[in-house]
Amino acid sequence: MPHEVPRSPEGPGGAEPRHADASRRGGPLAGIRVVDLGWLTAGAASSALLLDLGADVVKVEGPGALDPFRDWSGADAASDWWNRSPFYNFTNRGKRSLCLDLKDPRGLAALMRVLEGADVLVENYRRGVLASFGLAPEMLRKRFPRLIIASISSQGEDGPERDMVSFGSTLEATGGLAALTGPAEGDPQITGRNINYPDQVVCLFATGAIVAALAQRDATGQGGHIDLSQRELTSFLLGEELIAAAAGVPTPRQGNADPAAPGEAVLPDGEGWRAVWDGGEAPVRDGAALAASPEFAAGTAILRAPDGQPAKGTPFRFGTWPAGIARGPSGLGEDNRAVLAEAGLTPEEIAVLEAAGVVATKPRRAPAQ
Amino acid sequence: MTAPFAGKRVLDLSGFAPQRPHALAIAMAGKLAAQFGATVIRPLPPGGDSLAALPPLLPDGSSALARFLLAGRTGGDTGGAFDAAIGDAAAVMAADAALRVRISVFGPGEDPPMSELGLLALSGILAAVHPEGEAPHRLGGHQAAYAAGLAGFTAMAAGLRAGMRDIADISLFDTACWLNWKAAATVVLLGAAAAAKDKEGRGGWHTMRAKDGHVALVYMAKDWPPLRDLIGDPSLAEPRFATQRARGENMAALNAVMAPWFAARTRAEITAAAQAKRIPIGPVLSPRELLADRQHAARGFIGPEGTPRLPIRIDGAAPQWMETGHAA
Repeated sequence: MPHEVPRSPEGPGGAEPRHADASRRGGPLAGIRVVDLGWLTAGAASSALLLDLGADVVKVEGPGALDPFRDWSGADAASDWWNRSPFYNFTNRGKRSLCLDLKDPRGLAALMRVLEGADVLVENYRRGVLASFGLAPEMLRKRFPRLIIASISSQGEDGPERDMVSFGSTLEATGGLAALTGPAEGDPQITGRNINYPDQVVCLFATGAIVAALAQRDATGQGGHIDLSQRELTSFLLGEELIAAAAGVPTPRQGNADPAAPGEAVLPDGEGWRAVWDGGEAPVRDGAALAASPEFAAGTAILRAPDGQPAKGTPFRFGTWPAGIARGPSGLGEDNRAVLAEAGLTPEEIAVLEAAGVVATKPRRAPAQ
Repeated sequence: MTAPFAGKRVLDLSGFAPQRPHALAIAMAGKLAAQFGATVIRPLPPGGDSLAALPPLLPDGSSALARFLLAGRTGGDTGGAFDAAIGDAAAVMAADAALRVRISVFGPGEDPPMSELGLLALSGILAAVHPEGEAPHRLGGHQAAYAAGLAGFTAMAAGLRAGMRDIADISLFDTACWLNWKAAATVVLLGAAAAAKDKEGRGGWHTMRAKDGHVALVYMAKDWPPLRDLIGDPSLAEPRFATQRARGENMAALNAVMAPWFAARTRAEITAAAQAKRIPIGPVLSPRELLADRQHAARGFIGPEGTPRLPIRIDGAAPQWMETGHAA
């Protein structure tokens, strides 16, 4: 399929985004429009990867339902704290922001108008929340048959443990990773709050699955509802261990030993630890050592927005579409008027929604502490 | 149902990658391309298949890894142009393919000898799994390589869909750093001192011993009151455990207070009690236990001989193309 002509990111009636790199238009997903209801990492970073591939991403939050990443314990409550969370801004760079009260029928109706022009909806709410907004996937599939709905959840859409409360590291336990991680004679280990591994790795897979669904839509004209369980992905990435276990082969935790590479070990080196293997060795870096390393600085894991601010990078780059970030994060609701105008709302209709607080640029609550 | 990449020819050059992280990443991307319907050709060098003997080994001596990772390919006809090829730099740049997905350690032309353990060490992931009194530990399985394989497949999928004639680069190191972004971002955004403080204040997520195994003790600040009440030891109300930071600073003492409660209960009992209060604690399950896991079973995730299906369902069911198969 040839590249589609990318649409103007600001759309009719919209202002040129602040700090935008206007030269960065295109990419393999140019012309694809994503409505991002993703929170924290699993949803929001999946949408960010779609953006990195050239899609236009509109992040939708409500004045009473902010992405929890906007809460930052270091924020001054008297400031526009919701726009100052380093990790939120880091993750959501490049997206446009629409702040819409989905609990108000007028807000929901406005979102429906936005979805008419969308190709992909990404969400990772707790199961049942999307339906509670009046956005049940079955209804959306009927109303927008070309829409790809990507539901990224801990356990999946159904099953007896659908509603089991989990963070990423819980899924390391229930998905099999923890049992295989840690000292052979000690306790199983999890990656903890700084990584929450399943929350990270799911983004790489979810993005690919969404792109595949778009490819299928190109052929069939039909969208689909992708039900992606992070617990299943965690287990999938241990597929050889499942097959071995089914054959009755023990699958013990092996510490840092690798039966296929007997020379591998992690050893103290006086100042810290070193990983050694046949033919090489490497220091065990913490965050500070990683950030200071030349390989990291030369890589793509962290990039700079046009205003120079550090921003989340990308794991892939193309010869014709190098890794880069066109613009920093939008303030909450900064793109309300542009996005709603693109969806066909008149300035008068938008003004009514603004006056009613259905469309907003600030939250209705103080920061969580 | 037509598979997303039905009719696309993909060349999987994992057999020609001398470095194991590269080979595993390439093979994972090829596996996904096949499972999403592409015809994936995997030629082998004269010396044989380096992945075919990797552990774990099955009772008949064959490789469970090969069965998982290499299913759905054929040695087939490598002639003619491919829509995409994936391999390390030496192999993929010689391929006749519109889209070339190139796997490297640090980026194009930067391919020093590297192991998965080395990637985990350099990217900081190893340091995140550092039990008290022990060495840092690797993640189970082949996470560093497989994650790069996921990234490679995603880049390939985007390029295939767009009909691109291009080179897509995937760095094993960059992918691992991308997964571990918060460690570096905390330093870059907040400074090293703030990062150290942040680490202290995280309160500690880890596993706890139960009567029949372990559970993952995972909780946020909001979960502390119900967790404290669930365990019921009066000393948990002491100021030294009042905040996430205080709990982090007194983790050994906190664990000593909590340990008897966990040790006296089964994983199922602990999980049920915690989940009733919406505390995200869960059991540590082994691969053998996952074969009988009720959630996996209800969703049909584990197939014959323990083979997991692709971890998505579409419109409520495993896509039909997975049953009929378009992979050669």
